[in-house]
Amino acid sequence: MAAVANLHGPPPISPAPRRPLKVYAFDPTLAGLFGNVLVAMTRYEPLQPGPVGERFAVVDYDGSNKTYYAPVDLDDPNILLRGGLDPAEADPRFHQQMVYAVATETLERFERALGRRVHWRRIDKRVPKGTVNRLYLFPHAMVQANAFYSPDAHGILFGYFRTTDYADAEVLPGQTIFTCLSHDIIAHETTHAIVDGIRTYFMEPTNIDVPAFHEAFADLAALFRHFSHKEALITAIQQTGGRLYSPMLASEGAANSDHPTIQLDLQQDNPLIELARQFGQVSGMREGLRSAIGTPPKPADILTKTEPHARGSILVAAVFDAYFTIYMQKTKPLFQIFRAGGGSGNPVDLPQPLAELLTTTATQCADLFFGVCARALDYCPPVDVTFGDFLRAVLTADADLFPSDTDGVRYAIMQAFRLRGIYPEDAEYFSEGSLCLPEVSKNEMPPVSGLHFGDPNGLTTEEKNIDGPILREYAKKHAHALGLSSDLPIEVPSFHPMFRTDEDGSLKTDMVVELVQTNNVPIDSKNRGLGTFPLRSGVTLMIKRPGVHAGIRNDPTIRYIIPKYANGDRVARQRAAYAQQGVTNGGNVHINFGLLHGI
Amino acid sequence: MKKTLQKHSRKSTHKTVRTRAARTVRAQRNGARRTTATKVPSTQPQTARTAGTKVGIHIRMYRVGFGDFFLLSFPAPSGPPLYVLVDCGVHAVDLNSLDDAVADMAKLTSGQLALVIMTHRHADHISGFGRCAKAFAGFNVERVWMSWFEDPKNAAAASYQSTLTAVATNLQAAFALRADAPDSDYVRMVQNATGELSAAGGPTGNQAALNVLRGGFKNRPPIDYYQAGDTATLPDSLVQAGVTAKILGPPIDPDLVAEMDGKGHQYLSTNSDDGAAPKRFSQVFNSSKAAYPQEAFELYTPDEISKNIAAAQPDLAIAKATQVDNTINNQSLVILFGLQGKTLLLAGDAQWGNWQNFLFGGALGTAGHNGLTDEAKQILGNIDVYKVGHHGSTNATPIDAVNAMRADAIAMCSTQPGAYGKPENNSEVPRIPLIAALNKKTENQLARSDSVMVPGADTPQIQQFEKNNPPGPLPPVFQAGSSGAAGQLYVELEI
Repeated sequence: MAAVANLHGPPPISPAPRRPLKVYAFDPTLAGLFGNVLVAMTRYEPLQPGPVGERFAVVDYDGSNKTYYAPVDLDDPNILLRGGLDPAEADPRFHQQMVYAVATETLERFERALGRRVHWRRIDKRVPKGTVNRLYLFPHAMVQANAFYSPDAHGILFGYFRTTDYADAEVLPGQTIFTCLSHDIIAHETTHAIVDGIRTYFMEPTNIDVPAFHEAFADLAALFRHFSHKEALITAIQQTGGRLYSPMLASEGAANSDHPTIQLDLQQDNPLIELARQFGQVSGMREGLRSAIGTPPKPADILTKTEPHARGSILVAAVFDAYFTIYMQKTKPLFQIFRAGGGSGNPVDLPQPLAELLTTTATQCADLFFGVCARALDYCPPVDVTFGDFLRAVLTADADLFPSDTDGVRYAIMQAFRLRGIYPEDAEYFSEGSLCLPEVSKNEMPPVSGLHFGDPNGLTTEEKNIDGPILREYAKKHAHALGLSSDLPIEVPSFHPMFRTDEDGSLKTDMVVELVQTNNVPIDSKNRGLGTFPLRSGVTLMIKRPGVHAGIRNDPTIRYIIPKYANGDRVARQRAAYAQQGVTNGGNVHINFGLLHGI
Repeated sequence: MKKTLQKHSRKSTHKTVRTRAARTVRAQRNGARRTTATKVPSTQPQTARTAGTKVGIHIRMYRVGFGDFFLLSFPAPSGPPLYVLVDCGVHAVDLNSLDDAVADMAKLTSGQLALVIMTHRHADHISGFGRCAKAFAGFNVERVWMSWFEDPKNAAAASYQSTLTAVATNLQAAFALRADAPDSDYVRMVQNATGELSAAGGPTGNQAALNVLRGGFKNRPPIDYYQAGDTATLPDSLVQAGVTAKILGPPIDPDLVAEMDGKGHQYLSTNSDDGAAPKRFSQVFNSSKAAYPQEAFELYTPDEISKNIAAAQPDLAIAKATQVDNTINNQSLVILFGLQGKTLLLAGDAQWGNWQNFLFGGALGTAGHNGLTDEAKQILGNIDVYKVGHHGSTNATPIDAVNAMRADAIAMCSTQPGAYGKPENNSEVPRIPLIAALNKKTENQLARSDSVMVPGADTPQIQQFEKNNPPGPLPPVFQAGSSGAAGQLYVELEI
C-alpha cells in the first residue's frame, strides 16, 4: 500500500483574524434597549492578562484605594468560547475587556482611515531600545467624576464615583457610575491620545480654537461610531421616521405621547445624537449633539462662544450638518418610492426593509465622514490649529483622494461651516478652489532624494535612520523655499509613510512630515521682565512616492506644503490666549484634559 | 495721637486728617507718605482735556485689609458735595478698621449718599453692609446700582446666583472635611463667595449684606440692575451736578445665559461626587501587580504608575472653587464716571471675561478680536483715574489695557499682600510685575491702600506679608487721613 507518510501533519488552522468581545453599545443605562450589548470585532492579537497587547496595556490599578484588581485573561478558552465576558457592572474584568475592546476598535478606525499606523506620544523617560510603546488604560484609576487622557501618565485615567440624587437620571441614588463603561467616553479619550500622537504640538493651547478642536474632534469620533451600530440605527430610523437627527424618538405606545400613561408612551431621547448618556445625566454635562444641532446655526457663535465644549460643539454641529445633509440627499429616492407607494410623508414607523436600506446608507455616510475627518488630521499644519485650518484640511484631504466628489460632500461641508462662520484665515473666496490648498506644482520644489517609504507596517529602525537625516538636511537647505526662517533651527518631530487607495482603487503612497521651528517672543515687548513664550511655526509636508517610468523610479516629490508661518497676527493671538490663561514666563503650557473634562 | 485738621485748599468741604507722628519703624520706612496737602502742579503739558485743572472730584479709598471700600464725592452746584459709595467690604486679612471707616464715612457725608454701588457679591466688597447694618440704617440713599445678575425679576439670574452660592457652600463643607487641607487660598475663595467664615465672630454672610443693600437703609431707594451698554439712570442730584456714567460691564454672556436656561450646568455642576465613597468591588477581585505580565511595566514601573496616576489627577474641588471665584468677579459692574472732562474707571473685580467685550469688542482670541477696539483705546487713552481691578491681581488688568492707558493717569489699588497667591507661582496679589507696570505707566501715581497706617496694620504678620511686596511710600498726589479714630484710615485723591 502506497501510503504517503504524513510528515508534517495537516495544514495548521490559520489564526482567526478577529476577536469578538462584548461591550455596551452606549453605557449601562440603556441595558434593555437597542440591543445595547454589542460584539466588537477587534483585530486579533495574542493577549496577556490585563489585557496587555501590542498597542494597549490595561493596568487595573485603583489609585484611590491603592489596589490592583485581578486582570482578565482574554485568551482563556472559556472567554474565547463565549465571545468575550458578558457585561457585568460588578466584575472589573468585564470593565477591562470593554476598555481594551473599544480603545482598540477606535484605534483601528483611525488607522484604516489614515492608511498608516498611529504612534503614541513618546514618553519623556529613557527606555531600553526596542521597548514597545503601549498606551496605558487605567479603568479604575481614581474615585472621581472624571476621565481623561494624560500624556504625563502616558495613558487614559477612568474615574468612578457615587451618584447623588438626580431625579431625571436613569440611575439609582448612591449608585456607582463607571466612566470606563461608557463607550463614548472610551472612544473620546482614545481619540485625544491618537491626536496627541499624530501632532506633536497640538496640546499647546496657542489660540482659542485649540482646546475646542480637541474636544470637537474627540466627540466626532465617538459620535460617528454610533452610526455604525446597526441595531441602534434601525430602531432610531424607525422611530424618527428616517430623520436621524431628531432629538426624540416617537413613543412606542398608543401614539399618545401628550398624556403618557405607561412607560411605552414616554418619548425617548434619540441616543444616536447624544454622548456619554449616563455620565451626562448625573453630571449635567455633555449633551452631545442634542444642544449643538438643536439650535439654528449662527455665524455669531464663533465670535462669542469661548468655553471649549461650547465652542467645540460649533465644529461638531457643522460636520454633522453636512453628514445629515448628505444622508438625506442620498436617501431621498427611497423616501420618494415609499411615498409613491402610499407611504406617509411624515412617517412614524417605517417598514423594516426601508429602515434597513436607510441604515445601510447612514452607516456608509458615517464611515465616509469619519474618514474625511480623520484624514484631515494629516493635512493640518503642525502647530496652532484653528477651525479654519481644519476646514481647509478636510477639503484638501478629500479633494486629494477623491477629486470628483460626486455626492457633493465637500460642498455640503463648506456650506455647513460657512453657516457657522468658520473660514480659513487667509481664504480669499468661499469656493472650493480657494479653500483647498493648491498642490505644489511640478519642479517648484526640488525632489527629496533617497527617502524610504517602508510598508504599511511602518518604517524599520534602519529606514528611520536614513529618512530622518535626509529630511532635516532638506529642510535646512530649502528653508527659504519652504517659507521657514533660516536663522532658527528646524526640527522634524515626525514622519510617517501612509498607504491609501484613491477613487480609482489604486494605491497611493505618501509620507507626511512635520517641520517645526520655535522663536521665543516677549510676553510684553514694553515690559521684558514678564518673560517670553514660544511662538512656533512650521509646515506639514506631503511627499509622494513616485511611480516607475521606463523601468526607473523617480525621486520623491513634495505634493503639499501646509503652512503655519509666524506673523504679527499670530503673535497677538497667542499672546492674547496665553494672557487669558495666565501663562507666565517660558510659556510651557499644555491642555489639561483632566480639568477640561472634570468641571 | 494728636491730629491736625486741615481744610482743603479748594472749596471742598472734605476734612482730611493727616497724622503727624510716625511711631513705628514701619511707619518710618514709609515715612515719605506723610506728604503735605499742597497740590503738586502738573508737569504734564496742558491738553485740551483740561488735564491738570482740578474739578473737585474726591476719591477716598479706605484701608480695610483685603477688600474694597471707595467713597467718591462730586461737587454739587450748591451745598455739600454729592457722595457715591462703591462697595464696602473686607474678607481675607481683615484689619478691623471697617467699623471706623464706616463711622468716618457717616460723619463726612452726614448720612447722605447719592448713590450706592455694589460691583459684585463677594464678601470682600459687601461684608461691611452686613457688619455695619446699624450704621447703614441711618443713611439716606438716592439710588442703588447692581449688576443684572442681581435682578430678582430675572428668574434665570436668580437661580444662577443661588446655584453659585450652593456650589460654594458645598465646596466649603468639602474643604472643611478634608484631612489634607488644601491651600487656604481656595478656602478663602469659597468663603468669599458665601460670606461665611467658619470661626464665630467673623463677618456675617453675604445674604445679610445683600439684605441691607436691598432694604436696610433709612429710606427705600430704587435699585437699578445694569449690563454693559445700558444707559445708567443717575440720581437727580448727580445729573444736576453734571456727572455722567457709562456702564461698560458686565456683558450679557450668551454662553452663560444658555447655561442658565439649560439643565446642563457645565460651569457649575455642583458635585457629582458627594464625598461618600462609591461601593467597592467584591474583595475577591483584589489582586497585586504580580498578576500582570512584565510587559505591563516596561514603560513605567508599578511605583511610577501609582505616582503618575496620583499626579495626573486635578483637584476638581480646587478647580471649581477657582471657577466660582472667577464667575462672581466677572459679574462686576464696570463704570466710567465723568465730570467736566475728567473720567474715572471703576472696574470692580472684573476679569478677562468681563473686560474683553469692552476692550476687544468680542471674545478675546476670536477672529478680529486680538487687539483693543477704538472705543477702548479712546476711553483708556483719556482716563484720569483707574481703580485697579481685583486688588491688583494678574487676571484683572490686561497688559493691553495698561499699555493703552493715558501716560499720566492715576491709579488706586485697594489691596493687602498675604491674602492670596504666592510669588513662586506667579500668583501673588497684588502681582508685583503688574504693580511695576502700573507704576511706570502712571509715572508713579499709583496708590496702594496698604500704604496707609491703620491701627493694627503693623503686626509682625502683616510686616511679613509685605516683606516681598512692600506698598512703598504714598505718591505725593495722594493724602492719607482719618477723621476721628487713631492712626490713618484712607488715601484720598482730588482731581
